[in-house]
Amino acid sequence: MADAIEGGTEGDDGAPADATTSGDREHRDSRSLRGRLERRALVALAAATVGLLLVVFYYPVATVFVDSVLVEGRLTARVFFDILSDPFYFGEPARLLAGDSLASVVEGLLSPDRRLGIVGFTAYQAALSTVASVALGLPAAYLLARFEFPGRRTLRSLTILPFVLPSIMVAVGFVATFGQRGTLNAVLGAFGLGPVDLLFTLEAVVVAHAFYNAPLVARVTTAAWESVDASAVETARSLGASPLRAFRDVVAPQLVPSVLMGAALTFVFTFSTFPIVLALGGFQLATVEVFVYRLIRDLEYAEAAALALIELGISLGLLYAYLRYEARHTVRSRGIRPLPRRPLVPSSPSLRALLLRVGLAGYAVVALAVFVAPIASMILASVSGPEGATLAHYRFLVERQTTGASFQVRPWDAVRNSLLFGVASLAVALPMGVVVAVLTTRDYRGRKLVDAAAMAPLAVSGIVVGLGLLRGLVFGVEVGGTRLAVGGAVAIVAAHAVAGYPFVVRTVAPGLDGVDRTLVESARALGAPRVRALVDVELPLVWPAVVAGAAFAFAISIGEFSATVVLASGTSQFTMPVAIERFIGRRLGPATAMGVVLLVVTTVSFLLIDRLGGEDVGF
Amino acid sequence: MRTLASERPPGEDGGDDGPPAVSLDGVTRRYGETTAVSDLSLSVREGEFFTLVGPSGCGKTTTLRLIAGFEEPTAGTVRFGGESVAGVPPEDRDVGVVFQNYALFPHMAVGENVAYGLRFTDPPGGGSAEERVADLLDLVDLGGMADRDPDTLSGGQQQRVAMARALAPGPDVLLLDEPMSALDAKLRERLRVQVREIQQELGITTVYVTHDQEEALAVSDRVAVLNDGRAEQVAPPRTVYRRPATEFVATFVGDNNVFTGDVTAVRTDDGRRLADVAVGDATFTVALDADADAASVTVRDRLTVCVRPERLAVDAGRNELTADVTSAEFLGETTRVHLDWVGREILLRAEDPPEGTVTVGFDPGDAHVVDGH
Repeated sequence: MADAIEGGTEGDDGAPADATTSGDREHRDSRSLRGRLERRALVALAAATVGLLLVVFYYPVATVFVDSVLVEGRLTARVFFDILSDPFYFGEPARLLAGDSLASVVEGLLSPDRRLGIVGFTAYQAALSTVASVALGLPAAYLLARFEFPGRRTLRSLTILPFVLPSIMVAVGFVATFGQRGTLNAVLGAFGLGPVDLLFTLEAVVVAHAFYNAPLVARVTTAAWESVDASAVETARSLGASPLRAFRDVVAPQLVPSVLMGAALTFVFTFSTFPIVLALGGFQLATVEVFVYRLIRDLEYAEAAALALIELGISLGLLYAYLRYEARHTVRSRGIRPLPRRPLVPSSPSLRALLLRVGLAGYAVVALAVFVAPIASMILASVSGPEGATLAHYRFLVERQTTGASFQVRPWDAVRNSLLFGVASLAVALPMGVVVAVLTTRDYRGRKLVDAAAMAPLAVSGIVVGLGLLRGLVFGVEVGGTRLAVGGAVAIVAAHAVAGYPFVVRTVAPGLDGVDRTLVESARALGAPRVRALVDVELPLVWPAVVAGAAFAFAISIGEFSATVVLASGTSQFTMPVAIERFIGRRLGPATAMGVVLLVVTTVSFLLIDRLGGEDVGF
Repeated sequence: MRTLASERPPGEDGGDDGPPAVSLDGVTRRYGETTAVSDLSLSVREGEFFTLVGPSGCGKTTTLRLIAGFEEPTAGTVRFGGESVAGVPPEDRDVGVVFQNYALFPHMAVGENVAYGLRFTDPPGGGSAEERVADLLDLVDLGGMADRDPDTLSGGQQQRVAMARALAPGPDVLLLDEPMSALDAKLRERLRVQVREIQQELGITTVYVTHDQEEALAVSDRVAVLNDGRAEQVAPPRTVYRRPATEFVATFVGDNNVFTGDVTAVRTDDGRRLADVAVGDATFTVALDADADAASVTVRDRLTVCVRPERLAVDAGRNELTADVTSAEFLGETTRVHLDWVGREILLRAEDPPEGTVTVGFDPGDAHVVDGH
């Protein structure tokens, strides 16, 4: 009865029944012919995504790990055992595996000259960094969630920024701030205080980690704080609880899971930290990741792989423990009335209100020093020399571009490579991320597994991905007698795409999850194949999230260092972060100038993506 | 038990004109441990307005989703025009769906919403997509609204846009999932008349899901009363109301007084079969004819009978019971009176509510046997 609406009024069943039916069938067949491609599109995209992940992530990473258990063609756990029982890596506890008694190990741990080993030190600095990040992040969450002031929304969005800033650039900023001739010493000197050298100290590394992770802690905690229902607090108050008591009994329990999430992620991130430590700590403060890099440079692949695997195991173990916790403690509240915000300038000044504001002002000074000073110092350092303001560092970049030898890093080439890789990896990461987001927001058996497999790139260090791509794809694979190899540039794009697409997933998936299921079902009932429903209905509705994901993926590519430095060494495929690292090894000035170039390119790209996305929202 | 899925329709409409438009054959849908739909068999005739009614959780929406193809049955077969549609995705089933929340695409204007289905098929009956959209908006009294944003429309208007959108591609079957439940009572009554008129005008096979038994009775050709994933009764509205097949139907559709007791005597009087049923200390005489179930009743059977509150009369009727008035609800044209009869609640409809202790009664023909064995 496809024609029901026309035939309806004048005697509907005039036509013979069989004619109607066969007409209908033809109608349906032509439709399915036209839709056949579209129908398979989502499946094809999913298959392509899985295939790509296998080729550019799982296979290369697997080859790295095979290296660690396959020594001279023989399967062995010796490399692992050597690492686990070496006090150089695992400190005093390693002696347990080496056969020493528990008593002597405990004695060793208690003695003043105990050894932590590289893994111990890595965990130690990660723990310190976590404490610093939480300490620095919580006041920000309090400020953002509970106070109203001009620029609050902007500040809240800015908390995402450190996360996408190229880490090597941040490291340059920290060198410019805390170095011997850095801005900190300049400020201290103005007050007649002696110079301090924080560079290559644990303190500098911890502060730099806080720069990255405190905003993360602030973000998740703010979100949790904003989802506390005011009526729950009001109920507690009406039942006789003091404001402090209501906070302790009602608000705090809802914040704890988020604070723990921020802390857990911070610990995992800083446990596998690389560029920051490489630039600010050097090899004397080597963390596991830095040491993996060093082993790779020394061509000790088996040991590097084993160490990286152990690191991955620890990271995943922590993440798993956290996720177990989260699953038990997540409370979803919807349709809540959030707690009202107080004005930052108190309407009725009381001593309490005044003290609170003084405290917040003090925090603001610390926050400025940690978050703004490094960037400001980098910009300042790029235009100053021993004799005051100068453009010498930029001139150096131009000279290097025009007269540099072929083995030297040329700035424009780095900019061009970065942009090229950024665009290419965005083109791969965006559809991949969207497809994975679609796959992980639908309900089916094994969804969790798909989610985990798709998110694994977040947990595996860039060094390992880079090494795997280098050894697995760039050096080539023997397939049926022919050697298949990809160019370094392709491998870099692959590594960047793999690093970036989880962020697309993470921004797009919640949006898709929030799209009313009946919208998609309506589209499908109206004849839209699944992929058309995605393109016509879901994506337009979550477009801001798609744009944000694109910006993320691009920024990740621009700032990616770990995999790129492995893949680009000895080639002309260096990117801006790699260039900065080359410069920083010699002189700070050109590195800061290059850092400013990176900052400008990143910012402009971000604005461009935002603008492009914004114009498309209306389609 | 009597799952009257295959109850004969009344009148000349014998059901011999080809296969049913939609049929469910022993359909079961499980979600893990819970069974939403259990061994359900139904058939919806061509051009029929068929309503699935039942309390929340009875499986009515799941049944609709199984027909639409959003879910596949765990067991059993869904057929369209006699052919199984197992594995056929929703976009190929030629169904139009209207959801409770209307699910209008918020990023498209009203006209684009209605035109969306025409992206995948040509407008039925020739003509252009624009004409089709205009015709349908006229049909639902929203002519000239094509450029409006859905969120500038009232709930009732959105509901009609959803109807127009579902009808635009010329579906074989229209599926309506509680399309009125978000609207206020007055608007609901007006819209259900309009929906029925459109359905009649187009002659389109319609499956309508509602939890509102009054709505179900008002608009449907036939009603399926669902409970716990099973059909308790499938029949035209009048039959469902007057001759409920089960105690559940008797109490779900409208108010009812239900008595259960042992049969003490069966006799024939003036051509009618009558049974005496001992309920508590009283004995009621009820008529047994007209019900297949009731025909086989014999002494010592346990019988469940129901009597509508409006069939109870004060100080009248052959079967009498004396009860205390406990409360009265004024409903406008009538009053619902709650009585206490030796610990049982009795409902009575009255224009002038009695007070204190009253004697009410009913005749044997006012009682309907819902269960006897």
